[in-house]
Amino acid sequence: MDFLTRAIIANIPNLLAGIRVTTEICLISFAVAAAAGFVVCLLRLYGGPLRWLARLWIDFGRNTPIFVQLMWVSYAWIDLIGWPKDFFTAAWIALALQSSGYLAETFRAGIEGVDRGQVEAARSLGMGGVTAFRRIVLPQALLAMAPSFVNQFVVVVKCSTLVSVVTVPDLMYQALRLASIWNDPVEILSLVALLYIVFILAIASGLKRACDRLRASFA
Amino acid sequence: MDALLRVVDLQKSFGDTPVLKGISFDLPKGTVLSIIGASGSGKSTLLRCVNLLEIPSAGEIHFRGAPVEFRKSHDGSLRLPAAAAANTLRRRIGMVFQQFNLWPHMTVEGNVMEAPRRVAGLTKAEARDKARAYLDKVGLLLFAGRYPARLSGGQQQRVAIARALAMEPDILLFDEATSSLDPELTGEVLKVMRTLAAEGTTMIVVTHEMAFARDVSDRILFLHDGAIEEDGPPARVFAQPQSERCRRFLTEFVR
Amino acid sequence: MSETFDLSLFWEYRLVLWRGLEVNALVFVLSLVLGLVLGLVACLVRLAPWKGLARAGGAYVELCRATPEYVALIWFHNVAPFLVGWATGIRINFNPIVSATLALGIVASGYFAESFRAGIQAVPRGHVEAARALGMGSMLTFVRIVLPQAFRTMTPELMSQSIGLLKTSTLVSVIAVPDIMYQVQMVSQQEMKAMPLYTGAAISFFVLIFVLTSLVERAGLGTRREA
Repeated sequence: MDFLTRAIIANIPNLLAGIRVTTEICLISFAVAAAAGFVVCLLRLYGGPLRWLARLWIDFGRNTPIFVQLMWVSYAWIDLIGWPKDFFTAAWIALALQSSGYLAETFRAGIEGVDRGQVEAARSLGMGGVTAFRRIVLPQALLAMAPSFVNQFVVVVKCSTLVSVVTVPDLMYQALRLASIWNDPVEILSLVALLYIVFILAIASGLKRACDRLRASFA
Repeated sequence: MDALLRVVDLQKSFGDTPVLKGISFDLPKGTVLSIIGASGSGKSTLLRCVNLLEIPSAGEIHFRGAPVEFRKSHDGSLRLPAAAAANTLRRRIGMVFQQFNLWPHMTVEGNVMEAPRRVAGLTKAEARDKARAYLDKVGLLLFAGRYPARLSGGQQQRVAIARALAMEPDILLFDEATSSLDPELTGEVLKVMRTLAAEGTTMIVVTHEMAFARDVSDRILFLHDGAIEEDGPPARVFAQPQSERCRRFLTEFVR
Repeated sequence: MSETFDLSLFWEYRLVLWRGLEVNALVFVLSLVLGLVLGLVACLVRLAPWKGLARAGGAYVELCRATPEYVALIWFHNVAPFLVGWATGIRINFNPIVSATLALGIVASGYFAESFRAGIQAVPRGHVEAARALGMGSMLTFVRIVLPQAFRTMTPELMSQSIGLLKTSTLVSVIAVPDIMYQVQMVSQQEMKAMPLYTGAAISFFVLIFVLTSLVERAGLGTRREA
């Protein structure tokens, strides 16, 4: 065992702390993106005169590079609106902002994809519009959307690597820190790159399989 | 006898295209009304207006002697009654669709239980008992735990009938209930419908099954181009239609 | 708002910002070319009749698509030169633009390969069979029948993947490529004013990419790569 291998082992706690921050960032930003995306989608579909606002949100989220958004939220929002005060918050806001645009469109496609007859059957039995949406439309829409959700989560994980640029101590940040301390990036950066790739492949295929099984259970 | 449902001068246009041009009829309790006619004659639209899935452009619908209180928009066109009133009416009038429209994410039993639970407010146990009773009635109790995708078209349509029956409606509407089924599967659905008619269920049936219309109906309406062209008991309509169009339509359909 | 939106800043630094944009364009074009070439090769390898080769092509595509662009940038800039040096015995350093081109081009090639494959596989089998039935060879069939049709279906898809690459190319400042975001960061630090330039960058990129996306969508619907 050479020096670097031992050093990596000695720094496993740091790497684990990085993985924890990465996980937190990913989960928080995806949860916020899903909630915001749902609200924006409802606004887009049923918002009447406020639809343009939803359109703007969706288009801005989807058409602005994530790195630009991250820098903008991290360095400009504090002067624009006095918030967020720390980079961790800024990081998940930027990731959520982007994904909420994509997820809003995913929700819309899912909701619009549910056959009209499904709602008519519910209405013909006297079911109210909100109940029909909640009980009949939404479950079917969510089922249809599941694969797109998985894709978007993978995107969030990939983009989350960027938060190290604004000094959020995620896995990538820890790797870069160790690489610069040791002045030897080869092993640690290769290791972390491999970790990301394996992790992303695993969640992509695992979640995809879970989706397939879920959908198969209704057939 | 007082009519359970009375439709007076019902009109409906989609944009500038008139689809229904003043339809009137009475539906006494316990009778079966069949509506026949070529596709595009307005049969389905008429049925959907009765259940408020479409809003008539003009005219009146009376249910159990009380008029449906449509609201009026500023340009005079009709709008849906207040949600509560519309839903109350729909609870009392069941509908069976051409495409079944079973909810694929719920089991057969779940489909039938849904409205009794969420609309009528029954407990889960009560709703389940009711669902099982009606699934038994259509001969599908054994399939209660399956998802609709695993059922044949005929079985799905029977579940849809059980789903409508579970709300114990005063009137059942059938919108071409057998039209999207393979010929060998229509029999099982028609059999259920015949049983219901024999039990005195009040029904309006839009159908292309002329034998069914002739045997089961108390009254036939032949629609052409959004208007009633022929109206009478099946014996007369099938034997001596007054309208030339109706006669030609029947000779094409009845072999 | 504690700062006004100061437009004069853009004017004052217009030359630097413009030079940054030129670098963006350069990196984008270089990595686009590399990505398209590698993507086409990967796609053909993946469709190769020899199973082992096809599987290797598939693995390459999966690997590219599972790699975060930022991780690729850092790796190609910091690790790849070491590996090349170790293999050849010559110590080298990559110019940041070279690293950026390699990283972005290789990652993008995975997405391009998928677009190519989808286009080729969307051609109905019957068309190939019809050509074969007329005695056309497999190469001739591919060139004359499959490719022209595939090209039409994959164009919008390739366009939106290219827009995705354009979005990703804003990242390269993290390895000190002097692109627009790099200049924005420099100017912001120098002037101690972060808000106007970052806001300006966000709005400009939004408008640019929104317009491009709308054009592509009008040309035909393609699914987008999110980055």
